[in-house]
Amino acid sequence: MELLFALGLIAIKIALLIAMLLLLPLPLTWLERKIAGHMQQRMGPMRVGWHGLLQPVADGIKLLTKEDHIPAEADRFLFKLAPILALAPPFVVFVAIPFGETVSVLNAEITLYVSNLNVALLFVFAVIGLEVYGVIFGGWAANSKYAVLGSLRTCAQMISYEIPMGFAVIGVVMLAQSMSLVDIVRAQSDLWNIVYQPIGFFVFFVAGLAEAQRIPFDLAEAEGDLGAGFHTEYSGIRFALFMVSEYVIVLLVSVLSVILFFGGWNGILIPLPPLLWFALKVAFFIYVFMWFRFTLPRYRYDQLMAIGWKVLLPLSMANIIITGIAFT
Amino acid sequence: MSRVVDRAGTWIGWALFADLLSAFTLTFGYMFSKPVTMQYPDKEKWLPYSRYRGHHFLKRDEEGEIKCVACELCARICPCDCIEVVPYEDEKGNRHPAKFEIDTARCLFCGLCEDACPADAIALGQQYEFSSFSSRDLVIGRDDLLGKPGKAMTGGGVVAARLNTEQDVLVETSEPHGYNWWRNIRRT
Repeated sequence: MELLFALGLIAIKIALLIAMLLLLPLPLTWLERKIAGHMQQRMGPMRVGWHGLLQPVADGIKLLTKEDHIPAEADRFLFKLAPILALAPPFVVFVAIPFGETVSVLNAEITLYVSNLNVALLFVFAVIGLEVYGVIFGGWAANSKYAVLGSLRTCAQMISYEIPMGFAVIGVVMLAQSMSLVDIVRAQSDLWNIVYQPIGFFVFFVAGLAEAQRIPFDLAEAEGDLGAGFHTEYSGIRFALFMVSEYVIVLLVSVLSVILFFGGWNGILIPLPPLLWFALKVAFFIYVFMWFRFTLPRYRYDQLMAIGWKVLLPLSMANIIITGIAFT
Repeated sequence: MSRVVDRAGTWIGWALFADLLSAFTLTFGYMFSKPVTMQYPDKEKWLPYSRYRGHHFLKRDEEGEIKCVACELCARICPCDCIEVVPYEDEKGNRHPAKFEIDTARCLFCGLCEDACPADAIALGQQYEFSSFSSRDLVIGRDDLLGKPGKAMTGGGVVAARLNTEQDVLVETSEPHGYNWWRNIRRT
């Protein structure tokens, strides 16, 4: 009976998580277009619903009803597989992400995470690395030069930026003496990690921008020079899956930044509910992502590589050494 | 010396991301500035100037008779050959058009017909909302042309408006005097 109850609870949590992750791109696309518009002194979507609030629904219907076109020369199996491969890892990662400690619902203490892995951080980085397969297969299977170029760039970009990203969080792990994300947040209840780890956060965030393939590091899409990069040949719902994957990764990097460096659900000054604090911080980081996107131009390919290997990697290593000397 | 200081300043600025910070403050400022968008069919409408070349109209003289003398000069000068005039002679012996058709689907609104007209009978007015689902509806006859709105008296500026979907694509305006559209444009 007890086991059944626990299993049911996990099933409900997973269902809620999937629903949240699938629905969240809708408000995020609206927000992105609104922010883009206002930063360019436009208004963004205005006509569907109040201030264009229903615009994502209209876009979704449009994408669902569009022709699902597969190019004649494409590798059909990989072409169909790629969006799923791109979408699955960001969803899997959220299994290990905690959103808070516990809440009591109907006299039962319910934890706000699906599982508290003791190697959660390692799990997150291992699984999110798989996302690149979707992008590479998508570009390769489409049999188009733009898509392949986009995929090649993604490949090199991911390899260059996973390493500094992984090194950047080692400082956090050293401070918390644990890889469990819940323990890392608990360790920050007095003072957030950003105070101890400014360099670590900088490297993590820049690498996160590259990981999410957002401007200024969206070399994989680069609509100026590659059409639309790896998803040039995709249309309809498969294109939508790539977009959902992109937004979930944006959410993931924001959530990880909050958990690792900004105290997770620990609040300061104002006593708000922990979950609300968490949501506010994540929303701020999502805004920062969009703010960056509509401020900065795209880096050139060699500059991207130079930043990754010559700036971020030494910085992250220096961060480990400084943390090691100062805090142990 | 000053060059060294400049260079050091550049490097310090570069290391502290001064250039990026100024970019972010700029976009943040724009984020909360007023948009310059004119919400044309839904909320606002721009009033054309008096020299605006919109839909053609035919004029009447003081006695209410049509000014056109059916000389067909406008049809001759028209670069896209979209005017068709058939003359008749009334009982007083004056020439007038029995048929005066303009195919606005082909018209390029150059205003040459207005320049060529010896009787000052045809001109390009202020109306610009006459889209249609059929190009056949865009052939406008003599009596319709007589009823079209003339040149704009006031112009420039934006007035409050509202899209009336029942009545074609015409946008209804309310107040006669609008605001200056340029007020929202940032000029630094």
